[in-house]
Amino acid sequence: MKKKLLKRQHREYLAAFLFLLPSLLGITVFYIVPYIICCVKSLYVGEYFVGFKNYTDLFQNGTFLLALKNTAIFTFTAIPILMVSSFLIALFLNSFKKISSFFRSSFLIPVVVPIASLVCVWQLIFDDYGAVNGLLKLLGLNTVEFFNSEFSMVMIVFIYVWKYCGFCVILFTAGLANVPPSLYESARLDGAGSFKILTKITIPMITPTTFFVFLMEIIYSFKIFREVFALFGNYPNENVYFLQNFINNNYYNLNYPRLSSASIILSLFIIIILLAFFIFERRHSFAE
Amino acid sequence: MKRMKKIIKYIFLILLTAVFLFPVVYMIACSFMSNSQVVKMLDFTNGEYKQINLIPEMFSLEQYYQVFFRRPEYLLKFWNSVIMTFPTVAGQTIVSALAAFAFGKLKFPFRDKLFFVYIVLLILPLQVTLVPNYIVLDNIDLLNNFLAVILPGTFSAFGICLLRQSIKYISDSSIEAARIDGASYFRIFTSIILPQIKGGLITLVLLCFIDNWNIVEQPLIYFDDEAMYPLSIQLSNFSVGDYGIIFACGVMFMIPALLIYLYGRRDIDSPFIQVDKS
Repeated sequence: MKKKLLKRQHREYLAAFLFLLPSLLGITVFYIVPYIICCVKSLYVGEYFVGFKNYTDLFQNGTFLLALKNTAIFTFTAIPILMVSSFLIALFLNSFKKISSFFRSSFLIPVVVPIASLVCVWQLIFDDYGAVNGLLKLLGLNTVEFFNSEFSMVMIVFIYVWKYCGFCVILFTAGLANVPPSLYESARLDGAGSFKILTKITIPMITPTTFFVFLMEIIYSFKIFREVFALFGNYPNENVYFLQNFINNNYYNLNYPRLSSASIILSLFIIIILLAFFIFERRHSFAE
Repeated sequence: MKRMKKIIKYIFLILLTAVFLFPVVYMIACSFMSNSQVVKMLDFTNGEYKQINLIPEMFSLEQYYQVFFRRPEYLLKFWNSVIMTFPTVAGQTIVSALAAFAFGKLKFPFRDKLFFVYIVLLILPLQVTLVPNYIVLDNIDLLNNFLAVILPGTFSAFGICLLRQSIKYISDSSIEAARIDGASYFRIFTSIILPQIKGGLITLVLLCFIDNWNIVEQPLIYFDDEAMYPLSIQLSNFSVGDYGIIFACGVMFMIPALLIYLYGRRDIDSPFIQVDKS
């Protein structure tokens, strides 16, 4: 009996391996090997091994520090804003008994529309003489230079939230739909208020969804570079100069040592955020 | 009182929808404006504040006429986009579905650790591996070939994460039952898993399509020949002389994505909802 079980287990390993094989091959060739090359290169200048000098140099480079700062500001403001707003909208949609699918569909439209198509629209809205400033002027307020001041960051955060909010809402509503209604009922019978139900039942129950949404948000937060690039070109103003700009520009200067060490730092940045969230999830989720 | 609350809720809902839809509606409206009106609109130097007007001064198909019949380079670039995007989407969907099944439902050593590696790879920004990837592609002689964009895209870990999420919601009992009946793993995959993750698959097709449709960085670096560039690059660096057709190009560019979306709209609504078999 035990032998049979063991055999079955081995067959499962084999099946898993075969199912993974195509992906493992591709990932190795196109992601892992390049990444290792990148790690190795970051320790060299030309032919010479220099250890961590590229890294220490990088942390004395003003442009790099600026890029790091902006990336951190963006990540730590845009992601929480997107998380909270999409969760609230999902709760709001959930409070309707029946809702036309037109509304949900229209929430997804921003993700569907390609970036390049919309660049002109954003310019018309946010330019120095754009619609928003026209409105501000009409109301007798000071106009804002969205393309050349701290407000550039505000604009980018806005575009990011606008673009991905609908997608996160859809993910959250799916998560909310998976919470068994019996839980709410028994909590209500026990006399829990709606705020208590929210914090004690809804939020813990949808933690796996939250984790998934968070993952998507990080991935997309690094893709915002395409919008920055489309709106500002290679050299945006200092408020929205991100790490990706730094890497991109060094690519064009062919400064490989600096490029690869900056890449490694960026990936460490991501791995740390991710690990922190993983640990957080383990602690706070009681699903699974 | 209750009715009042309901009305307020609906007003809020409509406002919210308007915010999401507005830029797109605006772009479509602008695409029917005449060439000269668009050029005037996009001139930011005359010191007048822009007004948002959704109704063209004169309804015209001039922009579309220009794009389709006068400027063949745009259609050519559009075709490049198609060549690069469709194989990537098909490839990524197949590879990811297979791997997601292994990660979601099979047990094997180091599964969670391997999956963490996948997630990290997924999140790494493109810029990190762009140069090393260039070296690898150079070695296998794929530069200046559409495959240089298609192959790395095919193996992106994005689809695996997405599909694993929807596979996890399939109940184990049906798989277990099929195992006892002697079904092979491949049989389980095709007849139990695939039919139940239809929503997830369509979501993946759509998101993967959009992602590759918007591709900018890779072609710039991997291709020497500008004739191979996709439309997304063309749209990102418009020269002043082309302003007049910019909105029609934008609309043309978003139509394929919209069509996929409209096709799968119902399923995309619920890719991650547990399927009740009872």
